[in-house]
Amino acid sequence: MLRNVLFNVRVVLKQQNQLHRAKHLATPKILQLEQIHINEAIKLEPTLAIYSPEIWRRAHETFQNHGLETVNFLRIVTGNPAVLKRTPDKIINSLEIWRACQFGEHLLHLLLTKYPELLDITESHQLLEHIAFLKSRVSTSKNVWKLLMNSPDLIAQPEESLEEKLNYIIDVMRIEVPEIVKSASLALPFEEIRCRHQFLVRLGLFKPRPLKADPNDPTTNHKLYQITDTSEKTFATKICHVTLPEYEAFKELYTKELERQNKKSKDEEDFSDEDD
Amino acid sequence: MLRVRSIVLLPRRWKSGAKKRWNVLQNKKNNCDRALENFDDFYGSVYGSRWKNMRAALLTRHKYIALVNNFGDTEQTCSMLEMDGAINMKSLINLAQERLKETSSEPMPAQGQSRHEIEGKLDTLLRKQQEREVSSIYPSLGDDGLPGTLPQQLKFDNLEQKPKDELQEILPFEQSLTKALEEDVRLDENRLVDPQFGTGGLYEYMPAHSIKGMEDWVAESEHYKYYQTSADFPLKIEQETSFQYPEHLSLYTYEMGNCSDFKAPKKCLTGVLSHFMMDGGSTLPPLFLQVQPGERVLDACASPGGKSLVMLQTLHVDQLVCNDIQESRLNKLRKVMQEYLFDFKERWAGKRLIFSQSDARNLGDYDSFDKILVDVPCTTDRHVLNEQDNNIFKPTRIKERLRIPELQAGILTNCLRLLRPGGSLVYSTCSLSPIQNDGVVHMALQKAFAEHNITATIKDLSQQTALFSDVFKFEHPKGLKYGQMVVPYLPANFGPMYFSKITRNS
Repeated sequence: MLRNVLFNVRVVLKQQNQLHRAKHLATPKILQLEQIHINEAIKLEPTLAIYSPEIWRRAHETFQNHGLETVNFLRIVTGNPAVLKRTPDKIINSLEIWRACQFGEHLLHLLLTKYPELLDITESHQLLEHIAFLKSRVSTSKNVWKLLMNSPDLIAQPEESLEEKLNYIIDVMRIEVPEIVKSASLALPFEEIRCRHQFLVRLGLFKPRPLKADPNDPTTNHKLYQITDTSEKTFATKICHVTLPEYEAFKELYTKELERQNKKSKDEEDFSDEDD
Repeated sequence: MLRVRSIVLLPRRWKSGAKKRWNVLQNKKNNCDRALENFDDFYGSVYGSRWKNMRAALLTRHKYIALVNNFGDTEQTCSMLEMDGAINMKSLINLAQERLKETSSEPMPAQGQSRHEIEGKLDTLLRKQQEREVSSIYPSLGDDGLPGTLPQQLKFDNLEQKPKDELQEILPFEQSLTKALEEDVRLDENRLVDPQFGTGGLYEYMPAHSIKGMEDWVAESEHYKYYQTSADFPLKIEQETSFQYPEHLSLYTYEMGNCSDFKAPKKCLTGVLSHFMMDGGSTLPPLFLQVQPGERVLDACASPGGKSLVMLQTLHVDQLVCNDIQESRLNKLRKVMQEYLFDFKERWAGKRLIFSQSDARNLGDYDSFDKILVDVPCTTDRHVLNEQDNNIFKPTRIKERLRIPELQAGILTNCLRLLRPGGSLVYSTCSLSPIQNDGVVHMALQKAFAEHNITATIKDLSQQTALFSDVFKFEHPKGLKYGQMVVPYLPANFGPMYFSKITRNS
């Protein structure tokens, strides 16, 4: 019995070692910033050539002290060269601003590496308020992070427009939060989302779920990311199975229809006694 | 604008309002929803995957064509429309004619060849509908998997249906829906109590002879039975050879994909309006009627007058009789004519333009018209999907709706009689339903032959419609038997409009 257990433990340990070694071999960790790395970065982003090695070293050290690996540092710098010339204090400041959003270190690093421009944000109060608003709508920090990973420009969108879109997606299209965070739908303007949804409805390809339906029930509706994260051509041909001219004509006709509706309701407002 | 409300404080009635709970709102089904549901089911199985494109187009606003009024400032109107980017249909037709001459046209697929497809589709649809109806009345039956054993009138089986069909061919139109309803009321033999087993029980027990609340019940599937295909009357289908675009008619349209609107009509110097806007599909039936100078023409169901106006604007018509069934519809028509015809009272009314109010089935002026336009009442597919008012899918109008093909066939048969031998008519509907289109034409030709010994020739217009293919989207002739059809298509959102040209043999 005891022998068996011991044997098992040994086997597991052995395997773990092997795994560890394999991982290590696959991506050797760069710990030191070397001239080769700098040269590579300059090749990718020539504007980086003007900075002295001292500046490189200083910035690298700052990032490394805050837990970002050298590879990530290089990605950030090539993506957003202006970061390099900032003083360590400024860099630390902007990192702190983001840390306050509480995505967790690892996720935050992923986000910043993917979108280095996010380091340009200086208004901590505003950002926190905005993140809090998003969190109130999608319930967890991780969901907020997912939203930002898909569409970083959410940071710049006013709350009203986000509110409008979210209300439409949740109340009219009846799509739940887990699906919303998997798509870049919020990056689209509201009119575009509504137009695509209406087109599918009129084609008879999108049926809103009944209010009391189980969210786990399978639907024939397309997923939100299929509807919103596609180019117009792909949306028309692959999702709706119509030709592009048809979708374009619909877009034009639908905007006109809405204009007419607005005009009509404005005219009626003054004369009717009806409340609805 | 001076607003009354802003000056005087008007008391406003406070209402508790209609119910706004979600379950009430969600379960509320209006006439448009009913129509859409019906179409999804019916057209979905007839047109297959193409139905969704038509569906989206039908639910979206339609496109207009502008008809320039020849009695107003014609040239000014034309140049105004041209400035806005509209194209004269005449030049488009001329271009198409030249193009077709250059590329020696391949023989178009002859009409009425491969229509078995659609028959099969309608057949399965009918069966499906009947099964659904049976299971909705006798719910347990459907579970047992023994459909069609109980109710006599809903029994549907291909084998047993056949002898019936033969009977129907002999007397095809005796069994109208009204009569069928009356005749089918018969006692259910199974439920009669035999007196020999003691009559005592009978004093207490009264067998039910009808189901309460079901007296008015009409099976939806009755509607599909109107589509018959067996031809037992002489019928010739031939290519229409000539097509002349009327010299004085100016129709303006935007090219395919351009969804711009026309400017609103203006008053001209002569006091009439400059142009008339109408659904593009509606211009085709009067065009294909090819009214020649000096002819006497009837518009059997004329209101609201768009098609009549097209015929008048060709300046060919000698005398036009506009008929409609209701006074209110005729008034609408009269108003349009007054707005568009110069010197309406002095030169037109009663002389060259005659209004008559009558059911088109009862018109008795036989053998007297050169051309007849039969634009029958139909389900008006675009209208019923978008308007709540005057909607034929209102539940109380179900009998009227199901009887539409019968009404249409009646009108068409009578119009065939009104036609001078050798004259021709165009039958048109704004519905996609094969029953109201080919089915009705078939039924009417059969009836006209059986009852009045009138034979007719169908004119195949597929070569003529090819000239219009830059502007309209047509249904492929393969799926149609007796006519052509404009189908709704988003970049050219006209129609639907089915038309069939029929010439009475002399």
